[in-house]
Amino acid sequence: MKIAEHDIRLVKRVELPWWNAALISIFSIVVALILFSLVFVHSGVNPINGFKEIFQFAFLNRNGLPLTINRSIFIFLCTCAFIIPYRAGLWNIGMAGQLYAGALGAFGVMYLFGAKGDPNLYIAPGIGIPLMMIGAMLAGGLIGGIAGFLRGRFNVNEIVTTMMLNSIGFWFVSYMVKEGGPFMNPVGRSESFDLPVSVRAPLIFGIPFTLVVALLLAVLLYWVFAKTRIGYKIKSYGHNPLAAKYSGINPQVIPVLVFVLGGMIAGLAAYHYFGAVPGVFKVARNYAEFGDLSFYGIICGLIAQGNPLAAIPISLLFGGLTNGGRFAQGKLQMGFGVDYALLGVMMITMVVLQFFYRYKIVWIKPEKEISDVGIIR
Amino acid sequence: MPTDNQIKKNAVLEARGITKRFPGCCANEQIDFEIKAGEVHAILGENGAGKTTLMNILFGLYQPDEGELYFDGEKVDFKSPLDAIKKGIGMVHQKRKLVMAHSVIENIMLGHPHAGEILNFKRVKQEVTELCEKYGFKLDLNAKVWQLSEGQRQSVEIIKALYRGAKVLILDEPTSALSPPETRNLLDSIRTMAESDLAVVPFITHKLPVVLDISHRVTVLRNGKVTAQFATEGATEKSLAKSMVGREVIIKLDKVEVERGKPVLEVENLSAYSEKDYLALKGVSFTIHEGEIFGIAGVSGNGQEELAEVLAGLRSATTGTILLDGEDITRNSTLERWRKGVGYVPAERNEVGSIADYSLIDNVAMNYYFEEEYVPRGVINYKGLRELTENLIAEYNVATPGPDVNARALSGGNLQKLILARVLSRKPRLIIASLPTQGLDVGAIEFVQNKLLQAKKDKAAILLISGEIEEALSLSDRVAPIYEGELMDIIPWTDAERDNVGAMMAGIKPKVESL
Amino acid sequence: MWELFVRSLDASIVLAIAALGELIGQRSGVLNVGIEGVMLFGATFGFIVAQTTGDYTTGFIAAIAIGALIGLMHGVFSITLGVDQVVSGMGIWILGFGLTTYIGNPYTGPLGMARIDRIGGMSPFFYLALALIILTWFVLNKTSLGLKIRSVGENPAVAEVSGIGVNRIRYMCVIVSGMLMGLAGGVYGLSYNPVWNYNFLMGWGFIALALVFFSMWNPFIMFGGAVLFGALWQLALSPEFILPGVMSRYLWRMVPFVITVVVLVVMSTRWFRTRWGAAKPEALGMPYRKEG
Repeated sequence: MKIAEHDIRLVKRVELPWWNAALISIFSIVVALILFSLVFVHSGVNPINGFKEIFQFAFLNRNGLPLTINRSIFIFLCTCAFIIPYRAGLWNIGMAGQLYAGALGAFGVMYLFGAKGDPNLYIAPGIGIPLMMIGAMLAGGLIGGIAGFLRGRFNVNEIVTTMMLNSIGFWFVSYMVKEGGPFMNPVGRSESFDLPVSVRAPLIFGIPFTLVVALLLAVLLYWVFAKTRIGYKIKSYGHNPLAAKYSGINPQVIPVLVFVLGGMIAGLAAYHYFGAVPGVFKVARNYAEFGDLSFYGIICGLIAQGNPLAAIPISLLFGGLTNGGRFAQGKLQMGFGVDYALLGVMMITMVVLQFFYRYKIVWIKPEKEISDVGIIR
Repeated sequence: MPTDNQIKKNAVLEARGITKRFPGCCANEQIDFEIKAGEVHAILGENGAGKTTLMNILFGLYQPDEGELYFDGEKVDFKSPLDAIKKGIGMVHQKRKLVMAHSVIENIMLGHPHAGEILNFKRVKQEVTELCEKYGFKLDLNAKVWQLSEGQRQSVEIIKALYRGAKVLILDEPTSALSPPETRNLLDSIRTMAESDLAVVPFITHKLPVVLDISHRVTVLRNGKVTAQFATEGATEKSLAKSMVGREVIIKLDKVEVERGKPVLEVENLSAYSEKDYLALKGVSFTIHEGEIFGIAGVSGNGQEELAEVLAGLRSATTGTILLDGEDITRNSTLERWRKGVGYVPAERNEVGSIADYSLIDNVAMNYYFEEEYVPRGVINYKGLRELTENLIAEYNVATPGPDVNARALSGGNLQKLILARVLSRKPRLIIASLPTQGLDVGAIEFVQNKLLQAKKDKAAILLISGEIEEALSLSDRVAPIYEGELMDIIPWTDAERDNVGAMMAGIKPKVESL
Repeated sequence: MWELFVRSLDASIVLAIAALGELIGQRSGVLNVGIEGVMLFGATFGFIVAQTTGDYTTGFIAAIAIGALIGLMHGVFSITLGVDQVVSGMGIWILGFGLTTYIGNPYTGPLGMARIDRIGGMSPFFYLALALIILTWFVLNKTSLGLKIRSVGENPAVAEVSGIGVNRIRYMCVIVSGMLMGLAGGVYGLSYNPVWNYNFLMGWGFIALALVFFSMWNPFIMFGGAVLFGALWQLALSPEFILPGVMSRYLWRMVPFVITVVVLVVMSTRWFRTRWGAAKPEALGMPYRKEG
């Protein structure tokens, strides 16, 4: 192709330096936001105005910022739940199901303490909170582990399994919290019993302590993938399962491992939102919306290219965008689902830009001879 | 044997001054030749002499930088293989170009004008059957291609090319995957083709007797140039070899004499299923000792791949036992076997032996990630691994800019050196080398073979799986021809004869000596 | 009981048409895990257009057209740009999920049009689905075009040297595949469940995907699977027909998904796997680039 006497060619990349990858990711976010501004135009809102409202509420507003951070922690944990299997070449789109299970696990622990119907029950927080987290992680890990086991042992497509488990989880939560289900709130309707006041999560500047857990997790995961044997095994399996098997890595164990770990983190995300974020403290009636929100984990994971540290700023951005989007939707009287539209637009831009991980565009000036061996024919 | 009236015919395909430049190897320079109808015209040359490039030019995959091609006296300019096929050039690659899941007849029909919009099986079957009878091919047209032997698959490709109306048939190493009787049948068919005025152009690297037997004329390539062109009548193996290599001697490996030690690997009655769920290995028994190379010679697909995988722990055995230094490892995992001193060099370098997107350091780690020395308490010591990788690169002359490049960037020979370096550096008791020199150039072949001999001196037991009789015979202390999952015999190299081993690879039982 | 049967067939038809689309695409080597997204697009656009124009036919045309468009998009990503097919499919699913939620929201609620007349007691789409399935089987197995499609899906390099335009065939297949998925979405949103709600497909696309794996790429087996699943789905919606009062209705709703997983597991046992291995298009999921 020629534009203004410059030869434009697609050249296959031999390797991708990290700053190049980061650039592509940032570029894809910018392109998506530009595309997303069509949604504003569609609703008769000036895009600049729209984005201003979103960002102002999400990052500069005293009420908005904590909401943003809470959402971001949730999205970040879902991203980690996606990333771990993704590094092994597997797709976890079952964060929704795993977090439903996690929510039931966390509240199951409280149920065993007899918290149903007694919101003033005293449970020592030093015991109750860790137990809730463990309950959430075990339940999430169990549901995730099913998909991993079926993949490792029987080679069942994990995309289908995790999606089926999402639906199963959705109805199971309905059963548990609605129409006289075991966890139904005796006072409210179609939601779970309230968390006892004594085991509400400690806050740091109004933000639950799960923030610290998430940050530590990011560093830990980064280190695991960069430096440890277990990370090496997971990556090897992800790059080339046959070679991994050849070098003695058990191909049945890795899928189970990554899905159990992913499911556990998704369970933690459930604990964060239903057990730690101020003002919720129950399995909320709109629990399915959090299931939908978990799909942002897929996008963040792809943009971050499986890097848990890179996932932090991206999660923060999306936490802000969805939160601000909700706000702008109300304030600017736009239709429902602005944050969903963003989800879709972001994802598809991301897909297109995947292409640039493998190819780069080279402008060749006419006076300079450049011979590239790797040109696609 | 050639007769004069065949050679007097007009040239169907003619190359004039074909030149193709590449950075590095395998270029072509000023190549001239003409191929006549009714002639078998062999193109001879070593690996890297430019045969593949020339073949790709004739078939339209590459366009020459200079020079012209003439077909039936008319200048042609092939932009793609399709142009070449339409003109009447048929090409049978060494790597099969068939849809494995489809039947023979479906493969032949694919893209053929006689197939009809609604598939006309009856007509095509009839016409193909006639072709098969004419040239002496026996094929079950309804069989699925994956069920066929490598030789039968090659026949399918030949028939497919002929059915598309090929006047010139280019065959890439046509006898390399065939057992000796299959080779004889193919040569008969080629003779019939030449008699019916087809031009046949086999490209051949090693098998000089085949060249002498079948062809009327030979063009020899060396370093991308034509070094000789003559009628085969009166030529000898020696004269062919001389013009091919440029010197008279043929490299022959010296036997390394090592005293045979105690048994390392004892295999008893070993059986295994293949991926396609049939019994691929049928009750094999043998023993390999310290300082011994045990060669398995066979045409691929006769169970040797499964044997290697069972020994490496990648496939489970249905019957039998494997003893390593007297210890039963039949039920051990792959990892346990690596630890106990099994070293496996797989035939599939890119698919199994390496991870393309990993750096060379991480590739070396494939055999070291489980060693406490390099991964203490689960944390990888990348400094130590880097040092190890650099040492291996230096010791094995791996051509690379450094240990940080991805394995994808290495050539086949260098990748094989790296894999070999990685495995041999573990000082394994048992080395399983599956087709270790396949697809390598002469220099790399020699290097790999010498490293295996070195390991033999260091008292390792080596299982060498090879498809080349010469390689198996020259390296091994004992040779076992394998056919349909059974070892036909185990022969000390001093008693092994080329023809005899070849016959057994084709399933012919050894004759019982009469007393 | 007859009503339950007819109703369950209605569900089967949606799944069968969608799965047929996926099957055609996969036969040519292109995997589309975003089938749910394409169906959501078809259902939503079909619904909106039909409600706005008051005409079913226009609605179905819109559903098919948007399906074709999304199929084309998947083609551009996965064939021309060579993006990983799973990534592209995931993108299409989430795009469909996100955008239709936003676009369709003002139309939440029932369609408000007279139901489509039944023919001989059956939905007209039942006959259409049957015809499409037979046609697909015939084209794939008995015609030159079908041989080309199957070859492209098995080994594109071989197809290319046999003179077949691999990318052309694949584009054709993904577009047809998208049209069928869009149509299936339309049948769902205009006939089976004409009450728009966000994400009202509830994972049917993924079940259709599972059906294709289950069918071993044979349209008839696929249809059989769709019929069984439709019956299962309908029973889960109205469990009182067989086991009144045994379980909470919410638990019944889980059953079809559980059974889908169980069936996939059973199929993956050794007995099935050897047959599956032979039937699976060899080049499924792999982008193709010309050599040379």
